[in-house]
Amino acid sequence: MNFLLSALIKDLARWREDAAAILLWMAIPLMIGGLITSLMDGGDGAKPSGVLLIADLDDSLLSGLVAGAYSQGELGELISVESVTVTEGTEKINAGDASGLLIIPEGFGDAFLESKPVTLTLKTNPSQIILPGIITDVTEILLDAGFYAEQLFRDEIEVIKAAVDDDNIDNAVVASIAVAMQQKIEAAAPYLFPPAIDIEVVEPPADEPGVPLALLYLPGIILMAIMFAANGLASDYWTEREQGTLRRLVSSPGRLAGFLGGKSLAAGVVIALIGGLTLIIGFLYHGVAWAKLPSSLAWVTASGVALFDWFGAIQMIAPTQHSANLVTSMLLFPLLMVGGSFFPLAALPGWIAAFGRKTPNGFITDR
Amino acid sequence: MLIVEDLVKQFGDFTAVECISFEAKKGSVFGLLGPNGAGKSTTINCISGLLRPTSGQVSVAGFDVQKQARSAKSSLGVVPQELALYEDLPAIDNLRFWGKAYGLGGGKLESRVSAVLDTIGLADRAKELPKKFSGGMKRRLNFGCGIVHSPPVMLLDEPTVGVDPQSRERLFEMVRAERDKGTCILYTTHYMEEAERLCDSLAIIDHGKLIAQGSVAELSAQLGARDVLQLSGAFPSDETKRAIGSLVDSSGLDLELIAQEEDSITLTLSSASQHLPAIFQALSGAGGKISETSLRSPNLETLFLLLTGKELRE
Repeated sequence: MNFLLSALIKDLARWREDAAAILLWMAIPLMIGGLITSLMDGGDGAKPSGVLLIADLDDSLLSGLVAGAYSQGELGELISVESVTVTEGTEKINAGDASGLLIIPEGFGDAFLESKPVTLTLKTNPSQIILPGIITDVTEILLDAGFYAEQLFRDEIEVIKAAVDDDNIDNAVVASIAVAMQQKIEAAAPYLFPPAIDIEVVEPPADEPGVPLALLYLPGIILMAIMFAANGLASDYWTEREQGTLRRLVSSPGRLAGFLGGKSLAAGVVIALIGGLTLIIGFLYHGVAWAKLPSSLAWVTASGVALFDWFGAIQMIAPTQHSANLVTSMLLFPLLMVGGSFFPLAALPGWIAAFGRKTPNGFITDR
Repeated sequence: MLIVEDLVKQFGDFTAVECISFEAKKGSVFGLLGPNGAGKSTTINCISGLLRPTSGQVSVAGFDVQKQARSAKSSLGVVPQELALYEDLPAIDNLRFWGKAYGLGGGKLESRVSAVLDTIGLADRAKELPKKFSGGMKRRLNFGCGIVHSPPVMLLDEPTVGVDPQSRERLFEMVRAERDKGTCILYTTHYMEEAERLCDSLAIIDHGKLIAQGSVAELSAQLGARDVLQLSGAFPSDETKRAIGSLVDSSGLDLELIAQEEDSITLTLSSASQHLPAIFQALSGAGGKISETSLRSPNLETLFLLLTGKELRE
């Protein structure tokens, strides 16, 4: 017992001299975990937004209504409208600085009122996929709406146009047009409000609140830190062998079991430190209940010591330190891949997940 | 105190140590001499328990290293050829750890650690890491780790390899101090001058076999007053042998040809310097060409040459 404690104190004192390695064992998984969590959480939650350039060559009331339609409601949150000349707009869209360029030609308003053909030009950014599609769809809807409005209120439009041409807009004309339009809207209302075809949206019952995907990574990330630490600490057997202290130990009456036990306990202390810190960071970030911390720490520490002994056995079987490091590295990274550190076991294909659960770290992560 | 009887160690078909026997007494330094690969380290490893002998017996302070391994190991202090230290553990903690490995504890451990630090001259640097020490200081700490438990028997395996002259002298002083306390010391080296200075008795081994044994005085007596003459150049084999034989017959010299190669011959005779002209003349007459001459007085180095026909450091 005395020698076991001596071996424990000896290794802790030695490893304290290499504190940078301990920090790295913890920092690398935390860095990877931070990146993965950021990706899973979708960053700051901002919706994508785009810029629609509008070159309004008509500068009429109708062309203004078209331009304004893109800034209405939820569409306005997705698309910001910027007025440009054709030259400016062409330069910007060619440079990929906008999602689309809409050119409203001169005479658009008159052509609309006179039911003459007119062409709007919409250039979209080919490097973007979603926003140009939305702009195209909205433009087509606007044009359809304009067509039907023109068809429905043709007579009233004619009266308005004639009154404007004659510069004779008195209150009686405006009132008669308003009444006529109101009557047409009321006649069409049963078909429009509500629409003749209604869509009933059926939503499935709400599931139990699921575990966030980023949280599924937490055990794997913690185990990654533990595996790095266990592997790094296990290489100390070769350090002892290379510096001759193992040979000196064998020629002394000091019990090998005490020596190995002391080293495992020292590894347990370092692993508990690393595991504890990574657990606290993970619990804080994901808001996990603190009551689970002691049992999690105990499980992580016990698992880490088991992994340390496993890596240590592999290190000592290898004929050279170089080959020992090679073998453990060859084991470490595939195990991290299939054992739930890089990808949660729940997100892996069935047969890989089944295999992963049989690996030492997969077994630990799964519990 | 240390008894080795008919020790044999084989690695497959290769016999590294072949039936070696010797006894080292309390309060003495016993030298185990031989060139590199002679079997010295294998013998040491069998004594310290690192290797299991193929046959034979080793007894340390009355304990059989096979049957009473723990007691035998407790009685041994090992100073290995290669440093065996924790370079990232302060010197004082190295001594404490190895003291505990040998069963010391409490006040006894602390007093021994303190005494050993004084002995090895590192008391003022006790809390520093060995990785910051010079090579000589590391050697001294390596020695200190072997004596911290006051062992009755010590094994020193080529402790001066790669050590500067000043540190070597310091190490010799420490070895003598331990001997004067009554410790039995087995000291392996391939430096004959070290053995002559330090050892009370010696065993010379080559190719795993013990080829001579005794005190320095006894071994020197084997050589008598014969000098060793080494000549380099070109020497026709048969003609050279005939010329040497004729010279012995005609002059009555106690001349002996102990080694012959195409480019060198080694001769031994008394008062060699007085007979050099006659020897040169005989060899020239046999077609030999001498380019270099080396004449050495009798010592352990020349004894090894006489016994094996080769240099100790070959």
